[in-house]
Amino acid sequence: MSNDVFFLAEFADGKPARSALELAAGAAGLAGAAGGAAVGLAYGSGARDGAAGLGAAGAARAVVIGDGDAPVITFAAAAAAAVQGDPPLALLAPATPNGRDLAAALVGLLGVPAFGPVRAVSLADGRVRAEMATLQGSVITVSEPADDAPRPAVVLSLAGTFTPIEGGSGTASVSDAPAADAGAFGKAKVVETHPAEAAVVNLEEAQVIVAGGRGVGSEDGFRPLHELAGVLGGAVGASRAAADAGWIPYQLQIGQTGKVVKPALYIGVGISGAIQHRVGMQTAENVVAINKDPDAPIGEFADLFVVGDLFQVVPRLTEEIKRRKGQS
Amino acid sequence: MKIVVCIKQVPATTAEKRYGADLRLDRASAESVINPLDEYAVEQALRLQESGAAESVAYLSMGPESAGEALRRALAMGGDEAYLVTDGALAGADEWATARVLAAALDRLAPDVALMGMASDDARGSLVPGAVAAIRGLPLLSYGAELTLGDGAARIRRLSAAGFDIIEAPLPVVASVTDQVGEPRYASLKGIMAAKRKPMETWSLADIGLSADDVHGAALTRMVEARPPEAKAPTERVENVSADEAAAKIADWLAARKLI
Repeated sequence: MSNDVFFLAEFADGKPARSALELAAGAAGLAGAAGGAAVGLAYGSGARDGAAGLGAAGAARAVVIGDGDAPVITFAAAAAAAVQGDPPLALLAPATPNGRDLAAALVGLLGVPAFGPVRAVSLADGRVRAEMATLQGSVITVSEPADDAPRPAVVLSLAGTFTPIEGGSGTASVSDAPAADAGAFGKAKVVETHPAEAAVVNLEEAQVIVAGGRGVGSEDGFRPLHELAGVLGGAVGASRAAADAGWIPYQLQIGQTGKVVKPALYIGVGISGAIQHRVGMQTAENVVAINKDPDAPIGEFADLFVVGDLFQVVPRLTEEIKRRKGQS
Repeated sequence: MKIVVCIKQVPATTAEKRYGADLRLDRASAESVINPLDEYAVEQALRLQESGAAESVAYLSMGPESAGEALRRALAMGGDEAYLVTDGALAGADEWATARVLAAALDRLAPDVALMGMASDDARGSLVPGAVAAIRGLPLLSYGAELTLGDGAARIRRLSAAGFDIIEAPLPVVASVTDQVGEPRYASLKGIMAAKRKPMETWSLADIGLSADDVHGAALTRMVEARPPEAKAPTERVENVSADEAAAKIADWLAARKLI
């Protein structure tokens, strides 16, 4: 039986998503411990051209399961065919809508165990051990495949669970997935595409996030947040309240029904910290909150909680950081 | 046109949760509610029924007998009938087993649209809609910010990297919707009274043509440990200072962690 570890590698315009680089590193670590190889299942626009580049990220091989802008779910049958011949130990999937769609299809098509989203994954006696924060983080659970469960173990991984390999070299050997009929999943078609008026960053790739909530009050109110994010080299995010109000695009919503992020620094501004938002950012390495309400729930889990008026504090913080950077 | 909304009963977000000696959640110890994200699926289905795009709306749940309460609550919001799959052999079911059971029940109900919420509050894998579609051999339309029906097809509006796409598939489909479809309605008193008279059927595994072996003893996964989360360092608080002082304190804090 194969000791390989597969991972889903999403591409856009021939470039791997950060999730692909993170999962490549995770798969390489697990495969190394098991005596196998990391293998990327590449999909998305330009996947065929970019797949060899997964070698530098830790993959020995790459299998192209679909190239182009079709809904990702249409690549599910090819993914299943790529996995089926000699099933790997595990398959890591990003816990994004696209990653979950493919993972779910594999669970249904192959009848294999699913785990996650995990906060850590390891191997014990040749078996995957997945560690998860369950029930809104109120309990940590560890699960493994049942005896006789078929392979692979499908493991959903949140952004930031693994750290991409820096300065790697080498190319992955690239092949196409065995031919497979896309079946019913192939019937989903994109019939209209509506691009945004302005570019929207991928929050999952940001190392610093300044997030605004109801307290920001308006689209204009986000201006000082953009300025602070600018001096910190970061991105602006939001709570659901701010996205629902139309102050910011839904792509920038952090939380249970938005993005789950794990930046080095998260600064929450005018965000109360309801559980639905918290589950989207609670694994950030450093959490700073600025809120005028001394009893805001975010004050209970932030690392640094500043009670104050965001419109007074945020611009001064931006100036202070500029001043200190200018001196150094 | 028939819609079946799949509903999960979950412990309330605010409820104290305990795990039993078998590492299973002691569901009796916690107040239970309809999974909040499933309420958006209910709302979407009822809007489609009200607009005439769908003739009937039914609900399906898998869970202990008490999950019938969640189905009654959904019926109080609207809709016509409900089905509960409950069986001792399903205790501790994982996502694969849940999908297998829902798929078998949906095969019997044969809806044009099997509709679900985008995630459950307690597990958050979001894998059940896609796995059900795979098992039933149907197209999947997931993460819809809106679902529309017409001309023998279903369409969703789905966020893309920057804007949004409209994705279409021929019926029947499995679909999931997000919390952007519109706020779920409250059940009225009249609705609650009416719900008591709406039909609810209870099915065992055998009733939907499955055995305990078919669902691999309810799970392909096994929990080996449940423990409380690590204690977090206490929060540093800065209050009753001027905005200048607050800004300086934050900058000091960031500098001490080499974040600036």
